Amino acid sequence: MQRNRKGWETSPEQFPVYGTIASKFNDDGVTALYHGIIDQLNAQAGTRLSSTLERPEAKVSSSKAIVIPTDRTRYLSEISESVRQYHAKTAQQAETVRNVWHLSESIRLLSPTAGDAPDAAVELLTREKEAQALAVDKETEELISTWDKVREAYSQDELVYEIRGREIRVALHTMSLSHSRIPKIALPKFTDPAEIYSWRRRENLPGSFPYTGGVFPLKRMEEDPTRMFAGEGGPAQTNRRFRLLSENYAAKRLSTAFDSVTLYGWDPAERPDIYGKIGTSGVSICTLDDVKVLYDGFDLCSPTTSVSMTINGPAPIILAMFMNCASDQQIEKFSAERGRKPDESEAGEISKQVLANVRGTVQADILKEDQGQNTCIFSIEFALKMMGDIQEFFIDNNVRNFYSVSVSGYHIAEAGANPITQLALTLSNGFTYVEYYLARGMDINEIAPNLSFFFSNGMDPEYTVIGRVARRIWSIAMRERYGASTGSQRLKYHIQTSGRSLHSQEIQFNDIRTTLQALCAIYDNCNSLHTNAYDEAITTPSSESVRRALAIQLIISREWGLAKNENMNQGSFIVEELTDLVEEAVLCEFDRITDRGGVLGAMETGYQRSKIQEESMYYERLKHSGDYPIIGVNTFRNPEANFAEENATLELARASDEDKNEQLRRLAEFHSAHQQQAPQALEALKQAALNGDNIFEQLMKTVRHCSLGQITNALYEVGGQYRRNM
Amino acid sequence: MNAPLAVYRPHHNIRIITATSLFDGHDASTNIMRRILQDSGVEVIHLAHNRSVQELVKTAIEEDAQGIAMSSYQGGHVEAFKYMIDLLRESGASHIRVFGGGGGVIVADEIKELEAYGVTKIYSPEDGTTMGLQGMANHMIECMDFSTLDFHQLQAEKLTKNNTKELAGFITALQHAKAADPEKLAELLSIIEPQARRNSPPVIGVTGTGGAGKSSLTDEIIVRFLYDNKDMPIAVICCDPSRRKTGGALLGDRIRMNSISNFPSVYMRSLATRDSANEVSEALPEAIQAAKAAGFELIIAETAGIGQGDSRITDLADISIYVMTSDYGAPSQLEKIDMLDYADIIVVNKFEKKRQ
Repeated sequence: MQRNRKGWETSPEQFPVYGTIASKFNDDGVTALYHGIIDQLNAQAGTRLSSTLERPEAKVSSSKAIVIPTDRTRYLSEISESVRQYHAKTAQQAETVRNVWHLSESIRLLSPTAGDAPDAAVELLTREKEAQALAVDKETEELISTWDKVREAYSQDELVYEIRGREIRVALHTMSLSHSRIPKIALPKFTDPAEIYSWRRRENLPGSFPYTGGVFPLKRMEEDPTRMFAGEGGPAQTNRRFRLLSENYAAKRLSTAFDSVTLYGWDPAERPDIYGKIGTSGVSICTLDDVKVLYDGFDLCSPTTSVSMTINGPAPIILAMFMNCASDQQIEKFSAERGRKPDESEAGEISKQVLANVRGTVQADILKEDQGQNTCIFSIEFALKMMGDIQEFFIDNNVRNFYSVSVSGYHIAEAGANPITQLALTLSNGFTYVEYYLARGMDINEIAPNLSFFFSNGMDPEYTVIGRVARRIWSIAMRERYGASTGSQRLKYHIQTSGRSLHSQEIQFNDIRTTLQALCAIYDNCNSLHTNAYDEAITTPSSESVRRALAIQLIISREWGLAKNENMNQGSFIVEELTDLVEEAVLCEFDRITDRGGVLGAMETGYQRSKIQEESMYYERLKHSGDYPIIGVNTFRNPEANFAEENATLELARASDEDKNEQLRRLAEFHSAHQQQAPQALEALKQAALNGDNIFEQLMKTVRHCSLGQITNALYEVGGQYRRNM
Repeated sequence: MNAPLAVYRPHHNIRIITATSLFDGHDASTNIMRRILQDSGVEVIHLAHNRSVQELVKTAIEEDAQGIAMSSYQGGHVEAFKYMIDLLRESGASHIRVFGGGGGVIVADEIKELEAYGVTKIYSPEDGTTMGLQGMANHMIECMDFSTLDFHQLQAEKLTKNNTKELAGFITALQHAKAADPEKLAELLSIIEPQARRNSPPVIGVTGTGGAGKSSLTDEIIVRFLYDNKDMPIAVICCDPSRRKTGGALLGDRIRMNSISNFPSVYMRSLATRDSANEVSEALPEAIQAAKAAGFELIIAETAGIGQGDSRITDLADISIYVMTSDYGAPSQLEKIDMLDYADIIVVNKFEKKRQ
């Protein structure tokens, strides 16, 4: 401006130039601009406007960049470099090992028998061998020299190993009907030490770095990776469903789906477009009392109970309700046992124990919400701040058995991304949380164990290796780049079969798709698995379809012979090739995201969103042209089928007006019971946010008196509403 | 299996509102459909996801659209679509067609029920297979191929800030007349100009490079005006480019503006540039006149460029603001930005990324 106006004599401060961050809530640069606009309008348009907003001193935003420090914006490319260097080192070391081995073998074959004159050739070879051997690393030597012991250990009847200081013994073989001894872990029969070395660097045994084959040596015997999934109508109805689903299992792995009103942080209401969604496709939850009814009868602190909650935007609020519910359960238990209420210090001790023991997962992944799933409700920066607050609270209160976030690719895939994009975006989001938490001063070994991952398994070939690639990239990054401990190197993930691959035409075919995807997930050693019901494309699954879906898992894990083996994917040429190919594709995506300023920079330009949309469009076009065959939909169609009629016989799950009205009644009751305390509680919450305190810590108190909708609205005022992106 | 289908070419300028329903983030199919509609020559006012029925109806009326397309994958669709039909009826806007889709979630009986209630069409997955994407788009366009002007009276005394339907109709009429009918234009202007002159509210022009964050910034400014005066009637007029080849346009400024739907006193209209040779709609001056005549107390016009001829933003606005980022290349590039010579205020947005 100075140049253009030839105003060389005027100082830059006097030009009407403002520096703003419009994407930031309540930015003082924008407020300065607002004052500037009013001044100019009053001067030039004869208006008489004035403002009650305080006029900032400067004309530019006072806040600097925010989530990831500027000197850390290359974090993803640094990870790519680490992984590529790791593989380059493997190749280089393998070559040296092979040279040393070839030289040793030559020496052995040429060695003169005793009494013969020393051979010049042998001497030359020996010198060369010794020279080459100098370049062999200690780690390399160890990987080769311990191999015989490993083989020995795996030929025994049982494998003995330690997890978190606990000794675990698991049988290493199963017996087939034909009396074959089927190994759970089949080992390669390499004799070339370079092959052994290179395999251990790229693959290794399940439970050993880089965990390509799996993060644990063997599967746990006592617990199927089956989750009991429910969410429909009000909390009492869903509670009944949980009891029914879990009655035959010792381990209660409850997975909660919330209705969309809850997912967007609202309270139920009578307005038709809200009313229609109360208790539909998920359970309606808006108060602490609702959460108590929802998990009634389940001991939330038992080591065999784990609860997963699929919620993101309002996750901090719902999580605070959950933690309070767990605490209140134990306090009630105490009161029942002792015939009196605990005193303050006893209550404090109880809540400490509760936090240390409660087990589960909250999805709370706000980055993928902006990229694909769209249930952001707060401004991204504020939402991230609250996620960091949760993680900080977990560290401070020793919450060790609860995942503070489930970094999710599922919804990215459901929105149309291909498997490579799903994996790349998800991992990049995971590393972004790590970087943000590190920037807030947390320790990598206290962060990483609280993170879990969640992927979709669809029909594409790359799904075969999605867990393998994720584990390898994560562990190498953790060890080589972040210097993290073994516990932090283990990436654990949940798989849900792809809902998007299911179709409403010929819905009986859907179970076939789900079976193949589940097989893929089990071969890849996922840590937990959900199989979709075949009628998911139409309605909330019925109890009949859910039972079938569960049977898919059980048939694979109990009946299917090859699944008795737990490293089925290792040693296959195509699986290895796919692993390398997908890994490199992910690393390239990391570099592209780095070029756009990291995950948050790329999000600002809508990079991830448009990538997902492009891929979704590509799939739809191929599907419609028939180039991408889908049996029963665009290929092998049944000319006599009348889908409308067939599907009409399905039992549709729709929440009844009775359920909906009951929720409205419960909410009104809660509001009136807490009308005294609620305003103060909300004020304290807002103040905590404005002071930059830990908001989650405050929410633990707020939820005792306020409903979800009340809290959401209070937080909008201090943190800003989400701004949609194209 | 489906041969590519010819695109239906409409006789009228078609405008449609697209979004997913309230509390619904499943926007994959909405995004695909809106792209095909754009490529077929439709002006698409896209609201993205999680929009209430009230917002959609308010938008359709303000934008004088022929249709609303809403997807609903999260249940509650029967209530929501019926509520939309009811609200349109109450607002005297039943001429606005309603389209929907929700994959297999909306079953055949519900489709029948909704279509009987007044929804023009709910597309089922089977429709997707038999009609194809273009086939569905063609069907929608054909149903919307009418002029909205048949549904407006265009009377000066009805042109008030509370009657956004009338204002929307005037803007449509002015835009048509400006493009093809100078006599009609003169007649319309003679109706509104006395009122516009009498009211004469201030006009702020906002221009700047694409991606600089104009819409977010405009929204943040509106929020502050409303903070100081929560009932302040503000009209926002945004220009977005039409695609020369197809005539379609993506009018996406509303996506980023939260205040537009949170405050009933804010009116917004998106204008596609249509045949104009630059980034400013030729009818922008007339649209501003209409908003002035309706009695808004502040008018904000947002365009991607400075404009030419009588649509030059600096001549239309009392003050003009140029929004850019620090990402402008070499300092000498700045000398090429004409607007820097004319703007009253320069804003460097995304200031956190300022050059080191």
